[in-house]
Amino acid sequence: MTQASPASVPLPPPDATRRIICCEYCPVACGYQVYSWPVDRAGGPAAADNAFGVDFPVAPLSGRWISQNMHTVTNVDGKLSHVVIIPDADIGAVNVGGTHSVRGGALAQKLYTPQGPTSDRYQFPMLNIRGDFVPIPWEVATELVARLSQHTLDNYGELAWGMKIYSYQFFENTFAASKLALKEIGTPNFSPHHAPAEGDDTPGLSDVGIDAFSASFEDDKAADVLFIAGSDPYETKTVRFTTWQAPGEATIIYVDPRRTFTAAYAESRGGLHLQLLPGTDTALYSAIAREIIAQGWEDTSFIRDHTASRAELDAEGKWRRKMFGGTFDEMREYLFSQQDFSLEGVEQATGVPADKVRRAAELMTGGGAAERPKTTILIEKGVYWSHNYENTAAIGNLALVTGSTGREGRAVSRMGGHQRGGVKAAGYPLDKSPHEFEGHKLEMDTERWFAEGNTRFRWIVGQNWIGAMGASHALADAAARLTSMGPPVVSPDPDRAFDALARRMDEGGTVIVHQEIYPNDSVQYADIILAAGAWGEDTYARANAERRIRLYEKIADPPGQAMSDWKIFAAVGRAMGFSGFDWADTNEIFEESGPRSAGSRKDYAALVEKAQTDGIRGHDLLKSFGNTGIQAPIGIDASGNLTETPRLHADLKFKSDSGKANFILADWEAVKRRNEILGPIGDELWVTNGRVNELWNNLSDYVRREIATARWPMNWLEISPADASARGIESGDLVSIESDNVLDQLGNVTSGSFTAAAYVSDIVPDGVTFTYFLYPGQPANTVVSGDSSLQPLNLRYNFKLGKGRVRKIGTTDLASRMSFAPRNLTPA
Amino acid sequence: MAKLTRREFLLLGVAAGATAAVGVVVPLAVTARDTVGAGDQAGALVGVFSPKRIASLADLEVGVPVAFDYPNSGQTNYLVKLAAPVATGQGPNGDLVAFSRICTHMGCVIDQFDAATETLGPCPCHFTTFDFAKDGGVVLGQATQNLPRVLLNIDGDDVQATGVMRLIYGYNNTLLDVASVGSSA
Repeated sequence: MTQASPASVPLPPPDATRRIICCEYCPVACGYQVYSWPVDRAGGPAAADNAFGVDFPVAPLSGRWISQNMHTVTNVDGKLSHVVIIPDADIGAVNVGGTHSVRGGALAQKLYTPQGPTSDRYQFPMLNIRGDFVPIPWEVATELVARLSQHTLDNYGELAWGMKIYSYQFFENTFAASKLALKEIGTPNFSPHHAPAEGDDTPGLSDVGIDAFSASFEDDKAADVLFIAGSDPYETKTVRFTTWQAPGEATIIYVDPRRTFTAAYAESRGGLHLQLLPGTDTALYSAIAREIIAQGWEDTSFIRDHTASRAELDAEGKWRRKMFGGTFDEMREYLFSQQDFSLEGVEQATGVPADKVRRAAELMTGGGAAERPKTTILIEKGVYWSHNYENTAAIGNLALVTGSTGREGRAVSRMGGHQRGGVKAAGYPLDKSPHEFEGHKLEMDTERWFAEGNTRFRWIVGQNWIGAMGASHALADAAARLTSMGPPVVSPDPDRAFDALARRMDEGGTVIVHQEIYPNDSVQYADIILAAGAWGEDTYARANAERRIRLYEKIADPPGQAMSDWKIFAAVGRAMGFSGFDWADTNEIFEESGPRSAGSRKDYAALVEKAQTDGIRGHDLLKSFGNTGIQAPIGIDASGNLTETPRLHADLKFKSDSGKANFILADWEAVKRRNEILGPIGDELWVTNGRVNELWNNLSDYVRREIATARWPMNWLEISPADASARGIESGDLVSIESDNVLDQLGNVTSGSFTAAAYVSDIVPDGVTFTYFLYPGQPANTVVSGDSSLQPLNLRYNFKLGKGRVRKIGTTDLASRMSFAPRNLTPA
Repeated sequence: MAKLTRREFLLLGVAAGATAAVGVVVPLAVTARDTVGAGDQAGALVGVFSPKRIASLADLEVGVPVAFDYPNSGQTNYLVKLAAPVATGQGPNGDLVAFSRICTHMGCVIDQFDAATETLGPCPCHFTTFDFAKDGGVVLGQATQNLPRVLLNIDGDDVQATGVMRLIYGYNNTLLDVASVGSSA
């Protein structure tokens, strides 16, 4: 009956094939069940007639309803099939009860369909011939990449050979890529999708001695107080908020320049919104810590027993820790030496009223009550992509003062930007890096190196590279300049194509290989496009933000001749004459990579070891844990059973030479000097940026998803009513955002601009605007500086500190079809 | 019949050819997938049923929702007279809209309507908010489709519900079980 009706979503029949997978997007990684079956039939609404074993209609909160966006039709194992991707209602963790985000709830729309909006997936490798991307055989593509790589190594050395690759897209792919780039080629010209250099994203917290992913979602629910800074969890880690944070009893202290949903929610339930000015996190966290100490509310016993003495600090081997580490007394002295950290000075410095700072200190500690509340501190990019080292150090100090680590409900942790799928086949060759700070080697700033013309071959894997980096217009200029040198490629003949591209290198230019699934803003600079497989098109493993490792099964076929990333790396590795690239499938890579994960927060070596002992495949053993998975580091007990680790630092031992935690004296004066360089000039406004609920990263899926494009037909700019009125701007107007004060990769002043639809809202304060960070064709990073030397300790961009003049340049029709209603209404 | 889109007009025209007894909510027709209005992101799934009077046109006040069940009892909706005409509005001024208030995320019923912003929600379960002025689209939240829109017809002072566009939470089929439940007012 349902099969014949067009007004329906087909139900999986009882014999539908069932597989497991986790969401592709946010770091929560909800578990999903995938049902596939031939297109010529369907199940029925009676329990006996469908794979769920339930009667339709299903009850509210059942987790068994299939919305239109949970269904698609695509090829599975070579057969045209119905595919339903539905939250796992039986999961024992994460999205308990089968809840989901809007992102995961539309995962089926991610899959390739020949006639649908995903039909423009790359299906063949292609060569750029005079501006046209023409299909070529894989053999030719592989040979070209290998020969060009060898030409680079032979003539310019490994520093001229670069790879920029996602850090998260499954253990098997990142292991294969790093085996080629780090182990065999040994280049330091290697960086992740989100930063100009390898290395730690939260170095201040690491120098404190705390792992950035130490908490478990259970800690959120167990906490009495949640201090959340730099990311709206409802918008971007949805199910963590709706399942683990909101249902708990915790009072929420929320830190953000914007009054987002979570800010309003926190205030409506007895919490606080600390609405700081952009770039002032260090002062705010330090002021709270100072007030706690001033009142005598610090966790004295924790500090006494678990933080380092001067002698222990002096014995530390890590240069940054030696440079900035301090004892509690030294940190107290520093905090009390800064006027901006005082109750009298904090509002001027941060915009946050003193009484809210005082109240935050009281809430986080109990204000001297006999029983200290359990406080968990959660941070994300608004903290560490504002002022990287100082902000993360100040958060670490606050965690130590409040004793927020290593115990149930007491943690400090990143919430994560993406899932955790990185494992490296070899260490990063830091000694080869050309960049340093005061004689201490730093990971190479690969974008500076590229813009200087030092990279002759660059392999970009799985990202909209240029728009994702700071000063993206200047970086695009560099890419255009470096790829236009030498003669054009005029033929798909491998010898002729090689000769032309090698000559470009010899004339000082760069050859760019882009391994992608869709066209994006960066691909236009590619010489060779390698058509890649994607999530769900091979079987992989990955961890979420609480180190929970799950198996992501292959659920659909890749389009055309697109190949899984690991297969491409393996083919090039073999073509270059390297051994160890003859894997038959991803399980072989998973098992090979296990030992390399040992000692990390994602340690799955024991799982691989047990699988081999038991004579089963590593992936199969992982699958036996279902969508609930297993939390790393994984151990093995005396009986041979695997053990998991809900939270790190449970022994109150920290990642330092002494095993003690260290206070880090974050340099607020350095932050202030940087803010003067980065801050708005004249009539510029702050242009901060981030993600929102309905969208994800570079939108490669989302610009092909009607539910997303209907909500956000173009990029938008949240602007306050006063700032809008002063500029004659109304919601739906087309505005330009321009700055002539952007620093490029070499530190030169350049300009940047993009356009957006105005969204007039008091979610942002006067002087501050907000936009999506990587909307195709309208990238916000054009007005973000790309000079990593501003943060010389760790070579990171100040992504959140963009700026620009905002003016109306026209109108759109969006007011009639896009909602401009407030996004921070709270439930009664 | 006032202010229906061309597509809705055609749909109801088709339905009229299969008219069933007035007074009982009976499925009359289903439609093919199509796109109607802003934010109708996944194609319109429409069930057309026998008309049911849901309100007096003269009694409607701007921003004051009128609750009614349709097409089944328990399938609760809000009829709202908006402050201004909208693209999908009906009635003499194009300002009448009606949507299911069963959240299309996980099926919870939403009571909270904010007249100032013309939004429904946040849903008490997972906080999705919907915009009545933008075809029941999601303002912020986790639902993967717009709210089901109730098609309206104006007959004198009677505001009638005549069909439902899009799947209602819990159902795999717009017409499932409808014939066995409910009767019109």
